[in-house]
Amino acid sequence: MNKLRLIIAREYMSIVGRKSFIFMTLGMPLLFILIMAVPIGLAYLNDKGSDTQQIAVIDETGRYASALHSDDMYSFVAIKGDTVTNAREFYDKSNGSLDAIIIIPRNVDSTGVVNIFSEGTITPALVSSVRNVLADTIESAHLAAMGIPNLQEMVDKAHVDVDVRSIKWSEEGGEQESSTDAAMGLGLMLSLFTYMFVLMYGAMIMNSVIEEKTNRIVEVVVSSCRPFQLMLGKIIGVGLVGLTQMAIWIVLLAIVGTVAGGAFGIGNVSPDAVSPEALASAKDMGAIESIVRQTLSINYTPIIVSFILYFIGGYLLYSSLFAGLGSAVDQPSDSSQFMTPVMLIMIIALYAGIFCMENPSGPTAVWCSIIPFTSPVVMMVRLPFGVPTWQLILSIVLLFGTALAITWIAARIYRRGILHYGKKASFADLFKWIK
Amino acid sequence: MAYLDINNVVKRYEEHTALDGVSMQVEQGVIYGLLGPNGAGKSTLIRIINRILAADKGTVTLNGKQMTDDDIAHIGYLPEERGLYKKMKVGDHIVYLGRLKGMTKADAVASMHWWLDRFDLKKWENKKVENLSKGMQQKVQFIGTVIHRPPLLIFDEPFSGFDPVNAEQLKVEILALRDQGSTILFSTHNMASVEEVCQQITLLNHAKVVLTGSVDEVKQQHKKNIIAVQTPDKIEANDALFTILPPDPVKKQDTRIKLAQGVNVRDAINWLNEHYRLTGFTEVLPSMNEIFIETVKSKNIENNE
Repeated sequence: MNKLRLIIAREYMSIVGRKSFIFMTLGMPLLFILIMAVPIGLAYLNDKGSDTQQIAVIDETGRYASALHSDDMYSFVAIKGDTVTNAREFYDKSNGSLDAIIIIPRNVDSTGVVNIFSEGTITPALVSSVRNVLADTIESAHLAAMGIPNLQEMVDKAHVDVDVRSIKWSEEGGEQESSTDAAMGLGLMLSLFTYMFVLMYGAMIMNSVIEEKTNRIVEVVVSSCRPFQLMLGKIIGVGLVGLTQMAIWIVLLAIVGTVAGGAFGIGNVSPDAVSPEALASAKDMGAIESIVRQTLSINYTPIIVSFILYFIGGYLLYSSLFAGLGSAVDQPSDSSQFMTPVMLIMIIALYAGIFCMENPSGPTAVWCSIIPFTSPVVMMVRLPFGVPTWQLILSIVLLFGTALAITWIAARIYRRGILHYGKKASFADLFKWIK
Repeated sequence: MAYLDINNVVKRYEEHTALDGVSMQVEQGVIYGLLGPNGAGKSTLIRIINRILAADKGTVTLNGKQMTDDDIAHIGYLPEERGLYKKMKVGDHIVYLGRLKGMTKADAVASMHWWLDRFDLKKWENKKVENLSKGMQQKVQFIGTVIHRPPLLIFDEPFSGFDPVNAEQLKVEILALRDQGSTILFSTHNMASVEEVCQQITLLNHAKVVLTGSVDEVKQQHKKNIIAVQTPDKIEANDALFTILPPDPVKKQDTRIKLAQGVNVRDAINWLNEHYRLTGFTEVLPSMNEIFIETVKSKNIENNE
């Protein structure tokens, strides 16, 4: 036990003390922010940088052109339909000052077809904005044409948004508003977290095993402790490194969240901003409130307990697999032949998890959440929706049984692998070592 | 009973047998050489003694008791494939190895300081291993092996990779440890070092013991009844007593004679003394190197037949 603690402490310090760890831990959130900020910034620059597009509107009906309002991006100029006989000629004559021509044909009321012509690219943004504006306008015109007084108001009144609330009956007979969106979000978050953690720190263990082998230190160490102790010490040590890193990230996230909340929160809402946008966002606020309410309504205790169990089981399973496979190679560059199949399983698990969000109780979801290699990821997706107890127990028992079996197998491979130099080991060799 | 008693140890791998019924007795306080060509099974045997590998059959007893995992605290082992954590500090590294062998932190630190001082490495204590020269790293490696003052020391090819100056220092340290009561087992190809430091040897070949005993005994067993005679005269062969061998390439002035079957040294020397002006003579004992090569070759021929 004492030796195990020594090994864990050394492994932990050797990684946490490295400069690369500090860079990684502080750099990852920055990278994340960059990844999120760069596309937004680029899109902003793209919009900002491009000139206002000049668009001529030939409205053969003469009724709808005025509905297209000019803004920063598009400047719509209505052209009298009868002054232009040939749109192409008109476009060419503009010598590039026109970006596009919209033709609203005379029969638009019956066909609903509008054409945009250009020699340049017609952006999807322009298409959708023209479509939305004209659809609303033409619809209103049709209603007005029917000559029934207050028809518009009647239609608005008749318009209904259906809000489907899902209510889950608990076994004890209680009712609870269940929370599809929040559950999906939470599930995806937990499964991505498990997936990333296992992958990142599994690879770290593999490198650490290979490093000891290339350093030739491993035989010195295993002459003082059992190879199994060394392997377990590495797995636990690296796991603790991972938890440390996660803890730092969570603290950073909390700090950034608080600061950002303070900066962009309530202070910025000016009282006179009762524009349609503000109303729309108020509607969104309702939606957010509902998600928050749903999020709060999720029963967290079983989720957290199961998450911790799956997390430990999944980590043990994959990290011992990585340790065992790492012991069979001499240098990191040789590890790909063993890494590939493990990666494949992990990716399948992730896809299964994402796929199962659509139907968390479907057969694929159930099977994948019971099979030990995929269950740590897939079960995370299912958990917030509620999982039958027997499935949960079966899955956890299977996961831990398999994790222990894999650890045992990995330890046998490890024992032989760390002393194996020279000829590259094959899968056939690994099977012989297990015996 | 011997201090370290290896009894009929067998170790098989999938494709070959690494040890086939090997027995060996190491008395306390001796330097014991484990010899053999590459692949003879030396490293496997050493790993079994260190409990890194398990024997398929046979027993290893230390001090009369079957060895257990706890016994590895009493062994200092320098493997043939050795190295250090490059990013660790020298002092921390030595203390870590000492504590893995069961030392308390305080003991390990004190011992580390003593050894660093002895090897003149004191100012490197807080430097990372990767900043040390190869020779200094080897010294650190050695300190890591002996820091817990083990009664049994096992060195696998200790001199490989050491430059002559460090090899000499290592030899001095090994002898000093022996004088302090440690028992030392080492495997090597370096026959010169065997003659200098070993009292006992075992020669392994193809997974079996082919030769064992004290260095002197082994030499006597393998002597060829050759005498180097110093004389200014030219000696003629006397078929009844001896034949003349071609001179030794190194000591050309000596005449080497090989005694005929059943002739003892005294009769031959008496006869020579009567007929020539003898200034001296020495019995030529084979070097360990010759014995090694001869034994391994003859066994290989046997095996091939």
